[in-house]
Amino acid sequence: MTEFLTRSKDVLRSTPLRLAIALVILFAFVSLTSLGASYLFIRDSMDQSMRSDLRQGLAGFKAAPSAAAVAALVNAEAAATDPKRRVLSYIAVDGRHFGNGILARTEDGFRIIAKPDSEELSDSPYLMLSSQLYGGQLSIAISRSQIGDLAELFASILLLSLLPTTAIALTAGLIIARRSARRIDAVSATLDKLTDGDLSARVGEMPGRLDDLSSIGAQVNRMAKAQQASVEALKQVSTDIAHDLKTPIQRVSVLLNRARELPLLPPELEELVASAGRETDGIVATFQSLLQIAQIEGGSPRARFKPVDLGALAATFVEVYEPAAEESGHALTLASVPPGSGLVLGDKALLGQVLANLIENALRHTPTGCRIDISLKQVGSAVVLSVADDGPGIPKNQRGKVLRRLYRLEQSRTTPGNGLGLSLVAVIAELHDATLELSGSEPGLIVRLRFPTVPEVEIHPVSGS
Amino acid sequence: MKILVIEDDKTTGDYVAHGLREEGHTVDLIANGRDGLIQATTSNYDVLVVDRMLPELDGMSLVKTLRGTRNLTPVLFLTSLGGVDDRIDGLNAGGDDYLIKPFAFGELSARVAALSRRPQLKEAETVLKAGDLTMDLIRRKVVRGDVEVDLLPREFGLLEHLLRRKGRVQTRTMLLEAVWDISFDPQTNVVETHISRLRAKVDKPFDSELIKTVRGSGYRIEE
Repeated sequence: MTEFLTRSKDVLRSTPLRLAIALVILFAFVSLTSLGASYLFIRDSMDQSMRSDLRQGLAGFKAAPSAAAVAALVNAEAAATDPKRRVLSYIAVDGRHFGNGILARTEDGFRIIAKPDSEELSDSPYLMLSSQLYGGQLSIAISRSQIGDLAELFASILLLSLLPTTAIALTAGLIIARRSARRIDAVSATLDKLTDGDLSARVGEMPGRLDDLSSIGAQVNRMAKAQQASVEALKQVSTDIAHDLKTPIQRVSVLLNRARELPLLPPELEELVASAGRETDGIVATFQSLLQIAQIEGGSPRARFKPVDLGALAATFVEVYEPAAEESGHALTLASVPPGSGLVLGDKALLGQVLANLIENALRHTPTGCRIDISLKQVGSAVVLSVADDGPGIPKNQRGKVLRRLYRLEQSRTTPGNGLGLSLVAVIAELHDATLELSGSEPGLIVRLRFPTVPEVEIHPVSGS
Repeated sequence: MKILVIEDDKTTGDYVAHGLREEGHTVDLIANGRDGLIQATTSNYDVLVVDRMLPELDGMSLVKTLRGTRNLTPVLFLTSLGGVDDRIDGLNAGGDDYLIKPFAFGELSARVAALSRRPQLKEAETVLKAGDLTMDLIRRKVVRGDVEVDLLPREFGLLEHLLRRKGRVQTRTMLLEAVWDISFDPQTNVVETHISRLRAKVDKPFDSELIKTVRGSGYRIEE
């Protein structure tokens, strides 16, 4: 049921249906205006001709030489006239009445009189012209039923033309809207899959006519194909680099290990071998981080994401780092997190890497005696992880740059680290749809990661709808 | 133990084979995937060490084929690729553990040992012993000589893990995986500081040292 409602909502929101509705409204407006205008025009001219008709009639009687002649003429013509169409009335000066109906005495000129109280007369109003003649009152009235008929005629023209047009346009709009809704669904489902890292997703064949939507579908497919090719190329390059460079590094570290195991190695040489080993480890770490960043940016499948308890993960990492922090004179704390809060959809190993990098970063770049406070809060529909320290911080104008690969602040060139920690945090954050924000009043640095919370359905899959 | 190493890089292959032989294992070294698969299916091995990128037949296909024939010999993948996906792909293909190049021999040796003994975990034990130290798993008590040692829960877990694997080296990453259930490569000496806290309680007040550091590898409690 809810699915049906959302579907109908989607259809209502679709462009073709909106266009159809807009066109129907426009058409109705134009027809109403033009019909209305012609109705008014025709009514006006009918009114004019009725008035001139009345004036002529009256003029004919005025030509009579006396009141008696007028009465005779009125009676003669009235006998041949249907009072439903035309009423003639002459009230003489002595009060006698001639004609086929009595029209009350009134002022001279045109008047519209409502339905007269007489069985013989028509139901509709009359247009009446009166004039004083030989002391009496002569009145002629014509039924306005023709004008009433005209209004009815126009109303039925309106109904006959407007209603079917509206119905046909709306139905056609709805049908086209549903068809394009299906096409749009196909395109957007494919785009969703592509965003989630499934680069093999394609928009299927669209039955029916080719239109702009099917050409967008084809464009999406071309784009996905190009993207897939470039990701595969990137993967191939990373694989080749990994293989061609890591194998010799492996050999170097094998050789260094062998050298270290040689008996009777002079202490100076032993120290040299050990520091060569440390340098090799550094190369490996840098290399590994670069490869990892490239792989994540190349589209790591989010399909493998699972709900991860970020609170529990943060607690574990704080516990792991706490003795090391204490040894280097730092106070590492975690603000108490209610269990089960901070559930995010993600990759546990990568999220762990984020925590490790942020904590190691803080340990490395703050002097002894500094505090490192980690907290996790539910803010609205987001889970906010923050790592705050009261060390020297990062100057405002450098904050964007530290997220760049291999960028290092001048003062930290002498400290260990390869300048990839925060870049890796940034790409992992992006992969998780999280926003990364550096703030803090100098001194001090606050790194905030705002994760979207796990939608309910992701945790408890509901069957059916 | 009988171990088959399938690795096409001669330096790495020789080093691994040489190191494992020195530890007393019987090692066969093969340099390409096709021959490796034939060797693995025709002889019985305790552990296979397989490089992921091999000539003629890659390591993933090799292990998939092997699992297809219901051969369940534990496999340790060696790889130059270190992405999350690569790791998951490797484990999905039927690998039991995964080691990223370059690795220290100690890490490889410890992981090979862990693989081969995996099915023999004696979970039913309630009391673990090493020298004059006794750990009572039910009452959560540790006694050395006749002195009770007061441990925090995680210190208890760390000591329990080492005691259960008496005589075998446990590397830093193995300890992080087993005791804290996290897999990452720390750039700081996090595991060392936990071990030194544990030593301060378990070893320092007594005459002898139970937890030994194995240079270049990790830690071990002697049998």
